Amino acid sequence: MTSLASLLCASLLLAAVAEAAPLEGPLKSLPPVPALDGRRVELGRQLFNDPRLSVNNSLSCASCHRLEHGGADDKPLSLGFDGKPVAVNTPSVFNASLNFRQFWDGRAETLEEQVHLVVQSSSEMGSDWTTVVQRIGADPAYGSAFAEAYPDAVTQANIRSALADYERTLLSSNSRFDRYLAGDTAMLTLEEKYGYQRFQDYGCIACHQGVNIGGNMYQKFGVLGDYFKARGNPTVADLGRFNITGDEDDRHVFKVPSLRNVAVTAPYFHDASEPTLEGAVAIMFKYQLGRIPTKEDTALIVLFLKTLTGEWQGKPL
Amino acid sequence: MKVSRRTSLFLLAGVAVVLASILLFLYVNSKSDQTVSYTESRDLIRQIKQQNSQWENEVLKARVALIHNYDPLVSPLSEMTRLWQNFDSMASQHRRNDSPTWRATRDAYLSAMKEKTRLVEQFKSHNAVLRNSLAFLPTAEDDIQAQLAQLTDADKQQLQNIAIDTYDLLLTSLEFAQVTSAEHAADILVGLNKLQVNKERLPQAFHEPIDVLSNHISLILREQPLVNSLLEQIEMVQVSERLDDITNLLNRDQQAAEIVDQRYHFYLLLFSALLVLLLIWLAVRLIRSFAQINQMNRALVAVNDELEQRVEERTRQLKDTQSELLDSARQAGMAEIATNVLHNVGNVLNSVNISAELVTRKLRNSKAQGLGKAMQLINQHPEDLGQFLSEDEKGKLLPGYLNQLVQAIDLEQQGMAEELTQLSKSVDHIKDIVSTQQSYAGASRLLEPLSISELLEDALRMNSGALTRHHVKVLKVYGDIPRIMGDKHRLLLILINLISNAKYAMSDLSNNQRNMTLTTSIVDGETLQISVRDEGEGITPENMARIFVHGFTTRKEGHGFGLHSCALAAIEMSGHLNAYSDGPGTGALFVLQIPLKIAEGES
Repeated sequence: MTSLASLLCASLLLAAVAEAAPLEGPLKSLPPVPALDGRRVELGRQLFNDPRLSVNNSLSCASCHRLEHGGADDKPLSLGFDGKPVAVNTPSVFNASLNFRQFWDGRAETLEEQVHLVVQSSSEMGSDWTTVVQRIGADPAYGSAFAEAYPDAVTQANIRSALADYERTLLSSNSRFDRYLAGDTAMLTLEEKYGYQRFQDYGCIACHQGVNIGGNMYQKFGVLGDYFKARGNPTVADLGRFNITGDEDDRHVFKVPSLRNVAVTAPYFHDASEPTLEGAVAIMFKYQLGRIPTKEDTALIVLFLKTLTGEWQGKPL
Repeated sequence: MKVSRRTSLFLLAGVAVVLASILLFLYVNSKSDQTVSYTESRDLIRQIKQQNSQWENEVLKARVALIHNYDPLVSPLSEMTRLWQNFDSMASQHRRNDSPTWRATRDAYLSAMKEKTRLVEQFKSHNAVLRNSLAFLPTAEDDIQAQLAQLTDADKQQLQNIAIDTYDLLLTSLEFAQVTSAEHAADILVGLNKLQVNKERLPQAFHEPIDVLSNHISLILREQPLVNSLLEQIEMVQVSERLDDITNLLNRDQQAAEIVDQRYHFYLLLFSALLVLLLIWLAVRLIRSFAQINQMNRALVAVNDELEQRVEERTRQLKDTQSELLDSARQAGMAEIATNVLHNVGNVLNSVNISAELVTRKLRNSKAQGLGKAMQLINQHPEDLGQFLSEDEKGKLLPGYLNQLVQAIDLEQQGMAEELTQLSKSVDHIKDIVSTQQSYAGASRLLEPLSISELLEDALRMNSGALTRHHVKVLKVYGDIPRIMGDKHRLLLILINLISNAKYAMSDLSNNQRNMTLTTSIVDGETLQISVRDEGEGITPENMARIFVHGFTTRKEGHGFGLHSCALAAIEMSGHLNAYSDGPGTGALFVLQIPLKIAEGES
């Protein structure tokens, strides 16, 4: 009798566990922070905040990727080392390692390559590796730390590796939505759950899905309507991947951005043209989905999007 | 030809180095880690192929809208990139890029991958919007149908036609998604035109949903062939085949490497066999030399044993000889002593003889005979004795004669008594000599209280005959020495010998001054020193070194035993005997030093 009772209890427990199991769906929860060499990560952190990476010692990575501003800039367009605005809105550095490519036009395949392009970009840091390696190598603190973390000490590749490793640890974990996905269904209000439902039903998930809720494919901006004609003032940056491949099919094609922390990374789109989340959702409906949502649905979706804001060092972004 | 040890060492080292390097060379060439890298490379290519298949699988799943998550279309690609980097670094380590065929194959794969990646990315973009629109179509159509149903005031027939047209368009579009033919495309275009026409007939409220629907259908019409063609193109990209090419190339390389390996294995085997033969030969040589060494060793041992035996034999012979010598020496010594004794005894006997002769002569010439004559005269006159004595001429002289005779006999007796005293003295001397000799002959080593001067006198007495004969004048410089504890016999032996030697040393002196000085003294309060100095022939420096050696002598009749035994005796008494001489003709000084042990009761 007792054994039967305990069996019953066990099955009940199992059922309870099954209820708390991760929820399946097109959106996946954030992975844990990878276990990397702490010395390299620390070096990356220092380099990330080091203005010596820019040619005139004016900009560090953190100047534009401000961790307290959701890993992005508070300006629509960040200012380069020369004080002139860059061509596109700064994407968040948070969860960047989960993107399948880097930059809006996806011209970098890896974080290391992204570092390389930013340091050498004539509109961003405007430096070159000889200078950077020389400056970093001249600092005895860096010298010893690099010698400890890498067999060949300060090199271009090692600086890039350390920065990339640091960025791999920049995951905005513990968002309410992630906790919901992990099985804690009480984390979302009923409205937010409806918002998630609308998000799926309207087809937002056609592009914004996966672990980073976006960031795993390219998409043409303006599938069902000419966004750029409506906006006016066409720029070179508006051409997107066309600038990289020269392929006519890639005109106005951009990497689908991640929607994680979207509520704290305004303004939106590569051109930073939309200051509000509601406006951005509306633009997406019009030019990407070609549908007319109800005001209520838009509001629900915005509510849902706000649950995607994660934490950094225990504090919400 | 004899090669020097150094050269042969160098030669040996050289041969060893050459053999070792050949072995190493063959080993390295036959081993070649190519096999390991080949297995790993093939494994990597196999994994890339697997990922490629998975990638294609995911593409197909996305095509039929089984998934709404495009992460699985990203991860195989990054995995393939990672695997390829591993493979490529391994390949460049093996200098595969040096081969043009290899480079061509590699570039073919990379360009195929690049093309496929581009196509898949396009597929993702287009498929996403296509799937979205296809999924939305029924809803969009429903929106219109629902709105149409709410129209009550319009022409029923026309409304029904519009509904049917719209529904047909939906169906055609959905069919088009399955069978993308030009026919269906044309149907859709016709349907879209009808929808535009119908839109004009409907109220303003319908325009928006109809536009949305027609937009999405247009999108499907545009995207579906694109997606299909992309899929075809993806299928056409021969990534898998390029990977097979690489595998084939790897196989070919491996086969070539294996042939080389086998060749070197064979060489290695050959070389090893050679080395084994060499080793065996060396072992045989070694065993042979070992046997030789053993044999020689045994011979040496035998010779050694024989030698030892001979040495032993010789030693025994020597010992025998020595003991014989010792015996003879002892006999000689005893003979000398006996001679000495006999000599002394003889000397004394001489005086005994003389005394006896004197007594005999005196007895023969004794005046006592006169007494007989006087008695005859008296006997001739038995009756007239008185008359005879008073009247006869002769008788009157008789009493005077008798008086003279008494005086003469008295004198005679006196002289004979003197002579007899001398005789008995001589006999006593002989007794002394003999008893002294007897006490010397004993081997007692007992310490006894001695007077050094008495001892010296004894020694002198035992040599007294010879000393007298050779007219040696003995000078005695005796210190004030108390009685000591000493070995009388050893001391006597030494002193007799030294005195005898001194006497001999001076036997050839022409003048009559033959002085022998005996000195006794105490040195430093703890050593008794007795010295015998002669003024004889002296000792040459070369003889000085050997003077105490057993068997050394300068005398014809000597046996070289005396000084040697003296020195030994001195050492036995914890003392030592030294000889000094300034050279031939300067005399010699023998000094005996023994530890001074004063007898009890002396101060």
